[in-house]
Amino acid sequence: MKRLSADVVVIGGGATGAGVVRDVAMRGWSAILVDKADLGQGTTGRYHGLLHSGGRYVVSDPHSATECALENAIITRIQPQCVEQTGGLFIVGPDDDPEYSDRFLIGARATGVPCEEISPAEALRREPRINPRLQRAFAVQDGAVDGWQMVWGAARSAMEYGAQVLTYHRVTDVLVRDAKVVGVVATDEKRGEQVQIDCSFVLNAGGPWAGQIATMAGCEQVEVVPGRGIMIAMNHRLVNSVVNRCIHPADGDILVPVHTVSIIGTTDVRADDPDRLPIPREEVQQMLDAGEVLVPGFRESRAVHAWSGARPLFKDPRVSATDTRHMTRGMSILRHDVRDGIGGIISIIGGKLTTYRLMAEKMVDAMADQLGETRPCRTADEVIDPPGSSTYHVTHRLEEREGDRLDDQIICECELMNRGMLTELMAEQPTANFDDLRRQLRLGMGPCQGGFCSMRATGIAVQEKMVDVERASELMRLFLKNRWIGLWPILHGDQVRQTALDNWIFHGTFDLEALPESQEVAL
Amino acid sequence: MNGPVPRRGTAPRTVVVGAGLAGLVSAILLRRHGHQVVLVAKGLGGLQLSQGTIDVLGRLDGRLVDDPWAAFDELPDSHPYRRIGVEAVRRGVDVLAGLLGPDLLAPVGERNQLYPTAVGALRPTLVVPPSMAAGAARDGRRIVIVGIDQVKDFHPELVAGNLARTELPGGGRLQVRHASIDLGARPGEVDSSPVVYARALDQAHTREKFVRAVKAVAEPGEVIGLPAVLGVDDPLAWADLQQRIGQPVFEIALQPPSVPGMRFNQALLAHTRRERVRTMLGAEVIGLVNEGSTVTGVRVQTAGGERTIGCDHVVHAPGGFESGALAVDSHNRVSETIFGLPVTATDATELIHGDYWGAPQPLFEVGVRVDDQMRVLDDRGRAMYANLYAAGGILAGAIRWREKSGEGIALGSAVKAVDAITAGEDRP
Repeated sequence: MKRLSADVVVIGGGATGAGVVRDVAMRGWSAILVDKADLGQGTTGRYHGLLHSGGRYVVSDPHSATECALENAIITRIQPQCVEQTGGLFIVGPDDDPEYSDRFLIGARATGVPCEEISPAEALRREPRINPRLQRAFAVQDGAVDGWQMVWGAARSAMEYGAQVLTYHRVTDVLVRDAKVVGVVATDEKRGEQVQIDCSFVLNAGGPWAGQIATMAGCEQVEVVPGRGIMIAMNHRLVNSVVNRCIHPADGDILVPVHTVSIIGTTDVRADDPDRLPIPREEVQQMLDAGEVLVPGFRESRAVHAWSGARPLFKDPRVSATDTRHMTRGMSILRHDVRDGIGGIISIIGGKLTTYRLMAEKMVDAMADQLGETRPCRTADEVIDPPGSSTYHVTHRLEEREGDRLDDQIICECELMNRGMLTELMAEQPTANFDDLRRQLRLGMGPCQGGFCSMRATGIAVQEKMVDVERASELMRLFLKNRWIGLWPILHGDQVRQTALDNWIFHGTFDLEALPESQEVAL
Repeated sequence: MNGPVPRRGTAPRTVVVGAGLAGLVSAILLRRHGHQVVLVAKGLGGLQLSQGTIDVLGRLDGRLVDDPWAAFDELPDSHPYRRIGVEAVRRGVDVLAGLLGPDLLAPVGERNQLYPTAVGALRPTLVVPPSMAAGAARDGRRIVIVGIDQVKDFHPELVAGNLARTELPGGGRLQVRHASIDLGARPGEVDSSPVVYARALDQAHTREKFVRAVKAVAEPGEVIGLPAVLGVDDPLAWADLQQRIGQPVFEIALQPPSVPGMRFNQALLAHTRRERVRTMLGAEVIGLVNEGSTVTGVRVQTAGGERTIGCDHVVHAPGGFESGALAVDSHNRVSETIFGLPVTATDATELIHGDYWGAPQPLFEVGVRVDDQMRVLDDRGRAMYANLYAAGGILAGAIRWREKSGEGIALGSAVKAVDAITAGEDRP
């Protein structure tokens, strides 16, 4: 068995875990992050891309609202390249209760969330496609954030401070001796080998899987309820700023412009298993109906992809476990020494992407406290992105390609990804599959959903000797299979036409099914 | 000018909807029968997206079909071939061979052969253009797959690697290696579309450089596999290149746009012009005019406004889901979008499943049903109109990309529809 050691093992490569490993490393502890899959493949990557202004919580959760407003400014400062400062609107729809909007305005003032009422005419001038029958509108500082860029930015920063990041390492055991955590055992899924990491502390940022991890350490009844929500990406930016309905948090109350698409979300249903998150057709219909309220004609727009994510919510005995929206949104930090009598492990459950840095700070503070050490947090002060970086605009890749289009091939026309971007990342992450590359490069995320770029990426991977031809072919099959998971539940309109064309390419022209099958399962 | 499209003379007039293989062949055949033909198409037709071969039936339930003609009897009753029949498909293929001529289509064989694809799979088809013929898989054949650095839709390592690890159905293997040439279609160009490259190879000076580059990487005794970019306007560019290279070459079809498909399309369009088919491109058909069970006209939306084309017959060949002639709305209802014809299933939620590599998606078998004259049937199985015929991708009952049956269905149904329309008239 491969043996590693570190002061701290961080379990979970979502935003929280990445934030935690960065914070731990910056405070001078040696650290290793492990995740059973890729970074940002769980809840972090399966959300709508909103960088909260805090507006969503000014009535229901004022404390969170203030935290969001502060962290929004910090993230925009330390990771500008992940952020598009779109601005946002809260609009009172034609049939929405105007009483809530009065409370919204009062709440915004009380929580320090910047908010300005604008006239419906001004709102329509800014966003011509929104419902012209709106009653009121408020401008807030919502933004869009690329969760994958954010997580990789934090992870790279941690690596610069000496941390190791091990993706596709599935934790199978947490080793406890004399009521204290002494190590973690994981399976390196891509190489099929066991790894033991000796450590003196485990920080469990497993999100919806945090309960399973805690159980491995002998900490019982850490019940994490996955609150499942679906999101649908609509082709094009139907809006250029975040558009929220000014109502109590509800299903389908937000439309976020992220990169080339706009994303509507979300639903909230208790799930039994965070590894099995369906995208029910009723919920798709519910989102399309909700979209009509925000942007009339929404149903006739093109839906390109859907996904389902699981909010990790700590089960609070005070509310019914079937109603996840009204569980606490704030995070829970569980000190298992106090709670379960097991030292050297702390779990964090819940929270929001926008406040990932703050959550990490609090968790590492708790660890330092338990260790009796004082090491101050510096994550809010040190800028992650290169000096001089600025927030991005949706057109940034067009601008970049204008600069290099004569020197390099565009491999994904939908998302303007060129060959150099692909080969550079392949060289850096040689075991990455095409979905891993996609999350960082947006390969295959546009309207054709991989129809034109999948074969090119496969060919390049073979040509660059990243993989042999057999594995490359399996990875292409896997990529198409995974794309389909988010396509078939929303398949209507122009995306049916696109699917038929893609099928003509892969099944018709390429006859991909005729390739000899590999015995190996591609990961 | 709005209003009806005037007739010329007294010959019967047929409106053909769609400019794909079925529409173009129907239109040409009808002209040869002396009909007036107005061909109306919203787009440019599907041929230019196709793989550029003539498929009849390559796979059945996932297994390779050797003799496509013999396999017709194994097809379920819902399959369009059961209405069309072997004879009409054979005739359709022969008609196309006559129209395209030996420069564009190799002789029609009796059995499928396997040809390499751009991912290195072996794909069954019945007839190929001569430019692809040398690619037919034979045990022990020595092949070099040559890529062009500037053409990103073709990766010789992928093609050669997969071909090399594939056992041929009758046993044996190809001997395959790969090579690349670095030659831009235009000086300094790093990202050349296949069409741009093909146009460059229509030119003598590019051809010269291309020949030199390919000769430098090929070894004696090898057959040379190249991306399908060997000229587009000049159908014999590939043969000239082969002669000058001095070794057999073959083309491998790329993802769209398809240069071999464009060559077919150009040749068929030339026939429609020669035969004086009246063609309205960029015109969307929006409905029918009927008197009882007879269609008397087709309503068309053109740039100038709505017009009605009076007619005696309609051949409806608008394609399937890929063209938008069949569609699923946001409430998951499947429909035929042009005339609102009945389709074989209407609830898409029952027709799509989540297993991408599993069983075929039933949605893509949905279409309109026809009788053995290709007349569109209503829900009760009766001809909706006496003179409305359907052909090609709109017909229900086949997932063409899986079966490799697209061209056979298009050609056979076109021939059958023309037969029915011209029945009782003197054959030309």
